[in-house]
Amino acid sequence: MPLKQDLLWYKSAIIYQVHVRTFYDSDGDGIGDFQGLDQKLDYLEELGIDTIWLMPFFPSPLRDDGYDIADYNSVHSSYGTLEDFRKFLGSAHQRGIRVIIEMVLNHTSDQHPWFQQSRSSQENPRRDWYVWSDTDTRYHGTRIIFLDTEMSNWAWDPVSKSYYWHRFFSHQPDLNYDNPAVREEMWNVMKFWLEMGVDGFRLDAVPYLVEREGTNCENLPETHAVLKELRRKLDEQFPRKMLLAEANQWPADLRPYFADGDEFHMAFHFPLMPRMFMGVMLGDRKPITEILQQTPEIPPSCQWCLFLRNHDELTLEMLTDIERDYMNDTYAQDKTMRLNVGIRRRLAPLLDNDRRRIELMNGILMSLPGTPSIYYGDEIGMGDNINLGDRNGVRTPMQWSGGWNGGFSAADPERLYAPLLQDPVYGYPAVNVFSQRRTQHSLLNWMGRIIAVRKTTAVFGSGSIEFLYPANHRILAYVRQLGNETILVVNNLSNAAQAVELDLRRYQGNVPIEMFGKNIFPRVGDRPYLLTLGPYHFYWFRLRRI
Amino acid sequence: MADESFLTDDFLRQLINVGEVDILVGVPTHNNAKTVGAIVETIQAGILKFFPRERAAIINADGGSRDGTPELVVSAAIDDAQRSSRLYTLRTLHSISTQYASSPARGTALRTILAAAELLRAKACVVISPESTQITTDWLTTLLRPIYKEEFDLVLPTYSRHRFDGILLTNLLYPMTRALYGLEIREPYALEFAFSGRLGSQFLAQNAWHDETARAGSETQFTLTAIAGGYRICQSFLGTKEHVERRSADLVPAMRQTVGALFSSLEPNFSLWNTRTGSQPIPTTGSEREFNLEPLRVNRKRLREMFSTGVAELESVFQAILYPSTLAELQRIARLEEVRFRYSAELWVKTVYEFAAAYHRSVISRDHVIQALAPLFRGRVFTFLVENRNGSAADVEGNIEGLCLEFERMKPYLLEIWNGRE
Repeated sequence: MPLKQDLLWYKSAIIYQVHVRTFYDSDGDGIGDFQGLDQKLDYLEELGIDTIWLMPFFPSPLRDDGYDIADYNSVHSSYGTLEDFRKFLGSAHQRGIRVIIEMVLNHTSDQHPWFQQSRSSQENPRRDWYVWSDTDTRYHGTRIIFLDTEMSNWAWDPVSKSYYWHRFFSHQPDLNYDNPAVREEMWNVMKFWLEMGVDGFRLDAVPYLVEREGTNCENLPETHAVLKELRRKLDEQFPRKMLLAEANQWPADLRPYFADGDEFHMAFHFPLMPRMFMGVMLGDRKPITEILQQTPEIPPSCQWCLFLRNHDELTLEMLTDIERDYMNDTYAQDKTMRLNVGIRRRLAPLLDNDRRRIELMNGILMSLPGTPSIYYGDEIGMGDNINLGDRNGVRTPMQWSGGWNGGFSAADPERLYAPLLQDPVYGYPAVNVFSQRRTQHSLLNWMGRIIAVRKTTAVFGSGSIEFLYPANHRILAYVRQLGNETILVVNNLSNAAQAVELDLRRYQGNVPIEMFGKNIFPRVGDRPYLLTLGPYHFYWFRLRRI
Repeated sequence: MADESFLTDDFLRQLINVGEVDILVGVPTHNNAKTVGAIVETIQAGILKFFPRERAAIINADGGSRDGTPELVVSAAIDDAQRSSRLYTLRTLHSISTQYASSPARGTALRTILAAAELLRAKACVVISPESTQITTDWLTTLLRPIYKEEFDLVLPTYSRHRFDGILLTNLLYPMTRALYGLEIREPYALEFAFSGRLGSQFLAQNAWHDETARAGSETQFTLTAIAGGYRICQSFLGTKEHVERRSADLVPAMRQTVGALFSSLEPNFSLWNTRTGSQPIPTTGSEREFNLEPLRVNRKRLREMFSTGVAELESVFQAILYPSTLAELQRIARLEEVRFRYSAELWVKTVYEFAAAYHRSVISRDHVIQALAPLFRGRVFTFLVENRNGSAADVEGNIEGLCLEFERMKPYLLEIWNGRE
């Protein structure tokens, strides 16, 4: 299946996030690789996703799971070769699957040759590629992001006897985007991969590119200028490619990253995600509708990227104190589940492995305005291992079968990059692709069905949204519309059956057709439209004038 | 479960939308437009401040207001308070209203609130009077926390009162309830109180809703139900109770609601109170209540006149209610000059107990029994005012305690005359 030539392909995409290391080990060394990923493309095609987002696979000391890059133009030897990547990319494209890759613009590893040269002497031509200072007092109004590990955004370099700036770990020095040579070189890096055929980038940590005294060094106009310049070059030389922003910010602060449709194509909606969990736990739509009311309009060519879980902790940064406390108390009673300002757990354990809630959350994810991103393994309800440090508990090997190493690798279990889950509830004998493929009503097959239903219409990706506010606050209801097509979505956020009366007078005369079973419901009249929903149940109705 | 058919379909629809709640605040109203808006806003702010995670609803049971009271309840919004005090709730906070009748009836209002509480499976409920303009956000936690967190079933308030405020309470309701039921509940028949869902359901299920006296004195019955059922009761300090000037004509309706309910409780609960002796304090939270000693103008002369007139005019009624020696003593003091007039604690207790027994035996219409007590109570008020005219707060408290002990000491007398002397 060839790639669609739609300029706005990302608006109707369904993204699957995966780290090559975690997916499938083709050579039996205990680490997933590109040949393995290539072999599993049939699975992803069958699931129905059409875009793969790859986490960093570049050469790296791996002190931050690859986000500490030591060479931008190559592949980490554990994952294969550039040729392996190229072959995987071709295979994906043949199946109509696009590939976007991670690009860490803000910083490199301290092992990157650029930094080694920069620190070597004051006169080195690459000295100004990083942010150096004789003191550690500059930009003192800037927050520290990794509070659990870092004391300062400055680190002392004994080699060059000065301080360097880092917003993340001290082994990740920030690049100096005031230097035109850095901007040019990073574009060259992106060009390298674009010429190979990648379809876009997830740009990591974009709010922090430029520093200015007297500011918090986040979201600065100079940073936006850098990003716009990259976008301009992208559009000129590589149309139909896409930039996705990782900026954990409030919606109003995120809006500038779309600019006039000439900066990012997409940005993650970070504040929405924890509020979806909150809404379902509270059985109340308030957190969700509140944050979406605060979400500004974005240019027509732009799109929000929505997700339930990803490779990081469930971030609670964009919450009020009272909301954060509630989330911790309800979703991370065991304090070892907490990390930085978040909860390091996967979707299924967060939802207590409740199939109804997992379906509801995915239903909301797939029906709100935006492009959904699914984290690998969540489609089969994989669990996590909170006994592994940092965020490694949500990065365990994909569980393909109940056999040797869960079908992930032929290596001795001791050689695996991380231990497989083996507990009775989430372990690979209980949760795996093989067994779920055999069961018609498995979560995996259900995920395939909801993806297929979503793909029957462009409304979910590109349509407008109008919230209905029925008096029953446990019901989250909205109408999605695009052209002549109208879809009514009704979600019961509570653990009890609910009756709701919807004001659908605007759609009087329409016949609701339930989109999964294609059953016809009573015609909409001039009175409140009564629906009953089971616990955590949801409906998608196509409203048809028949 | 009690019959809920008295709830309107519209109210049921609103309750369906509210769903299960943790906290329910009931506000019975009737033409309270002047005060209810601010009170509901304070309630909302109190919920946000102390119960931000809990599912909460404010239920207004209105008795046919014509001044827009229900609309004010529903539209009250805490946006301004929220902005100024950074209050925030995780959940939707509902305010709904229903008109239970075209004319006010406190019992029906309470029944409506109780039914809503049961249907919504409320864990903790509180009733707030729409006239309590002294309400603060702290009231919400003061009243509800013992229910919600400490598993009490009934929380009654205590207040700082003017020493001459609530004399019916201090001279009859409190001491008699204490003597009969053995618990030192200072405000047994309050307009503000909190209760557990299970106590609310128990009270709702009882069949007294069709009895006029029970409906009128529903708050009183409520407390007595809790006592009789062995529910856990405590009291919490709410601050100052503003003195409200009452008209003389208000006394009989007030006595019907309180004294009538107390008297009518004695029959079904006979086995409960006939064996209890003495009294015990109940858990109390918050500051110590104390009496306010501000000067207050009271027309004592008029009180004594009404007493004397009543004793004379109702002689035939009293002959049916009181024993001859008691009536003779009352007639004697009725003839005394004002400076020598004194309605002693002992005589007062004896009078009240004989009225209670007469009420039980229905020697005349029970409502007439209650009405006939009113002029005698005025005589007792006169004496109370005189005795405490120059007293300190401790003196007033001491006098009330003495009266309580007198009620306890003479309880055997009530038992003796309960079914009439042989």
